[in-house]
Amino acid sequence: MLRLLLQVSLRNLFRSRINLLIGAIIFFYTLLLVVGGAMLDSLLGSMSRSIVGTVSGHIQLYSVTSRDPMSIWPTMGNEPDLSPMQDYQRVEGAISKLPNVKAVVPMGINGSLITSGNTVDLTLAELRGVVREEKENGKTAELEAERQSLKEHVRQIVRVLHTDLGRATEMETTEARDPEALAAVERASSDAFWQGFDEDPYGALEFLENKVAPQLPDGDLVPLRYVGTDLDGFAKSFDRMEIVDGQAVPPGRRGMLLSKFIYEQYLKLKTARRMDLIKEAVDTGALISTDPELQRYVHQNAQQTREILLQLDPLKSEQAVRALRASLGRSDGTLPELLSAFFAVTDDNFQARYAFFYKELAPLLQLYRLRVGDVLTITAFTRSGYTKSLNIPVWGTFRFKGLEKSPLAGNISLMDIMSFRELYGYLGADTSAEIQALKQEAGAQAVDRTHAEEELFGSGRKVVAEATPGLIDDKKAFPGTAANLRRKDLQQRVFDHAEISRGVVLNAAVILKDPSKLKQTLREVRELSDREHLGIYAVSWQDASGILGQLVMLARLVLYVAAFIIFVVAMVIINNAMMMATLRRTAEVGTMRAIGAQRPFVLTMVLSETLTLGVVFGAAGALLGAGIVGWVGAKGIRATADIMYFFFSGPRLYPHLSISNVIAAMGIVLVVSVVSTLYPAFLAARVPPVRAMQTDE
Amino acid sequence: MKTSLFLWCLVLATPALGAPLANQDAVLQVLKTIDYRQHNSGDYKSLAYLEQKEKDKTDIAREALIYRRDEDEKLMILFTKPKGEAGKGYIRLDKNLWSYDPGTGKWDRRTERERIAGTDSRRADFDQSKLAEEYDATSKGEGKLGQFDVWELELKVKPNTDVAFPVVKLWVDQASGNVLKRQEFALSGRLMRTLYYPRWQKLYSESKKAEVWYPGEIRIYDEVEKENSTIVVLKSVDLRPLEANIFTKAWLEAKSR
Repeated sequence: MLRLLLQVSLRNLFRSRINLLIGAIIFFYTLLLVVGGAMLDSLLGSMSRSIVGTVSGHIQLYSVTSRDPMSIWPTMGNEPDLSPMQDYQRVEGAISKLPNVKAVVPMGINGSLITSGNTVDLTLAELRGVVREEKENGKTAELEAERQSLKEHVRQIVRVLHTDLGRATEMETTEARDPEALAAVERASSDAFWQGFDEDPYGALEFLENKVAPQLPDGDLVPLRYVGTDLDGFAKSFDRMEIVDGQAVPPGRRGMLLSKFIYEQYLKLKTARRMDLIKEAVDTGALISTDPELQRYVHQNAQQTREILLQLDPLKSEQAVRALRASLGRSDGTLPELLSAFFAVTDDNFQARYAFFYKELAPLLQLYRLRVGDVLTITAFTRSGYTKSLNIPVWGTFRFKGLEKSPLAGNISLMDIMSFRELYGYLGADTSAEIQALKQEAGAQAVDRTHAEEELFGSGRKVVAEATPGLIDDKKAFPGTAANLRRKDLQQRVFDHAEISRGVVLNAAVILKDPSKLKQTLREVRELSDREHLGIYAVSWQDASGILGQLVMLARLVLYVAAFIIFVVAMVIINNAMMMATLRRTAEVGTMRAIGAQRPFVLTMVLSETLTLGVVFGAAGALLGAGIVGWVGAKGIRATADIMYFFFSGPRLYPHLSISNVIAAMGIVLVVSVVSTLYPAFLAARVPPVRAMQTDE
Repeated sequence: MKTSLFLWCLVLATPALGAPLANQDAVLQVLKTIDYRQHNSGDYKSLAYLEQKEKDKTDIAREALIYRRDEDEKLMILFTKPKGEAGKGYIRLDKNLWSYDPGTGKWDRRTERERIAGTDSRRADFDQSKLAEEYDATSKGEGKLGQFDVWELELKVKPNTDVAFPVVKLWVDQASGNVLKRQEFALSGRLMRTLYYPRWQKLYSESKKAEVWYPGEIRIYDEVEKENSTIVVLKSVDLRPLEANIFTKAWLEAKSR
């Protein structure tokens, strides 16, 4: 009978237009499910690779006493309030023994705004450092050369400022300029000032810092988010990480690896950065003549040449003028004019000028505000409430492979965990006791703000009192610190792995040998924590990734809702179509019933016809879907915005089809087909044989 | 900016205390009196205690030495306690406010809005009073603050003057001429801080040949983060001359060495 049913189904497959309509619906529904499912799975897979491969690992551990849940990318931008783990060393030891655990990496995440200061502030700070070094340790030929070079640089800055002010004075009324500021720049421009510099370097520096430097615009604030970690362990566990400039921080040493993204975005000379952005866009087919953003970069580069002028001393200026005149084919023009003309690039000359910029001009400039090997000062609010600043040497820059352009992956820099702990700064017992003593001695009582006026100025209060002349002994109040010795000591000291595990750890990433067993391992970690009282929560990468984890959930939800809506719509359409088809076949069914076909046969016949429709058109849809996914997968979908690099886990998303996508799509399609045919099939089965004769009449 | 003795005598001679503020000149005289009384012609040094209270956090206490040379408009704050804070400081030189941290040996340029050491206090709370120079004032009538009769003044910053808050309201004790309450507003009109001065003290200054007044205690309530507040107590004031080169970066750096 099965054979008969199959024959009937195949015979009827293309017999009516209604069948073709139903087939088309099934075809497109399957196509959509296969392509949509494969796309979403690929996207989620890519996102998970980005999240797991950058900071989160497969599982995140954090203390049960934390106020907030773990969130690597917090929804509101505020770092979660995590308490340190009670005993990280024990946690690490216990979790590492689980069979599926490959590594446990200690961490802590925090952020800070670093002020880069304006160009003259930075140069004067360097000059002050050299003067201090000479005073403390004596003069050397090397320091002398450095001092002369820095002085030349400052003189160049003053020259630029002097020219600017002269130009501004010509254009404005004299009242518009502060005469004191003008006089300060005049004095700083004079040969006499620089001849006398070495006689009283501190006096000269204070004059420059307080009278001249404020006339330049302030430097930028650079947002810096950092993960304090065991840098060695991190590099081994997160294999997407690679050093771009400089070198890895040697094991046991303090230091920082800046994210290449942050380094380029915030610390590079703005003109050079804009040239890079134009180059990237032009190389992918954009045209300066039609792209407003590229035109804006060109305009800004042509207008904002001051930062370059501030960097070029007379010798370098001369070299730059010579090179620029040759490049532009001009025999005259001042450096500002030549720079403006040079940076006014077009589609025709951009590539040549870009190459020229890096070959001829860049060697004369300091392209980055902070160079590899420099010391970065980070100030953070500690847990004790006090601020803490630390000098941390920058050993290099790094990136996560494939995520070079992603702001989400790129906004994280890495720091050794010892420095992180200092910036995190818990309130120690001795400091607590000191604070209590200070409070007790001062005897200031808290006054609630709602009753402040009544308490402070109510009846019986006096607001005037004679004071006893105090004799304050400064030396007793502040005997001094050995801060500079401590600074040097911190830079040199080497720490071992035991020190890394012993101190404050806020969270830890667990890397698994087999990521597919995530749920099982998560269960094992939780059981272990309960059994051994480790005091930790264990959450999956998705739960730990904050806003990104929510995005993954949202994406899934959108697909499910879309699939459900299409499911319902398809069911209604197929149901209606089948109803029409059944009504048209009343005579046929009646005749079949008259010659002996039983109701179950009719029911099965209608259902098998729809199932055959589902299999044939569904398979065709799945086949085309597989073809589309294969084609797109070979070509890749290009990330058109920086944020997409993270979602695609690279510059392109390469969708791939898994057999589960096809099985799921076919399964859903067949269920839809059968369910929507049940009622029409039931109606068909109830057609009596007499109906065939009535219809004939 | 040097103000002549003659002008100060004029300010002193103004019969403002206890009387209604009849006109704009009388309002200005009140401000000048406030400024003059806190000004010292010579040097000034005080030992201050700062206590910061914040929501869900342990109180933070500090002790600091405050140095002033009003004639040269110089100010230095050097934190001395607790140990972890010792050596940190601020120097105001002309219009520049610098912050120093001996932990890094670096100087940072700060603005007038800097929260001194992360508390609710600002540079101006520790510096000489320059209300008449920085603000234009109008009288908002008379009133009561607790048991005290006060003049209520509204101050608006003068053009091209850099202050932490552009609008200030003052409640000035009619009997003593001291500021008892001060409210500071952002340009948008949003209330930012409320300050109370429950105790004013005075010392005779040899250099000034007159008394120097200072607030023995300042209670600062943050009006944005309502749970935050700061108490400043000036424990002692010393008007003896300071070292000549004290207001330099080199001096503060040397202190931490």
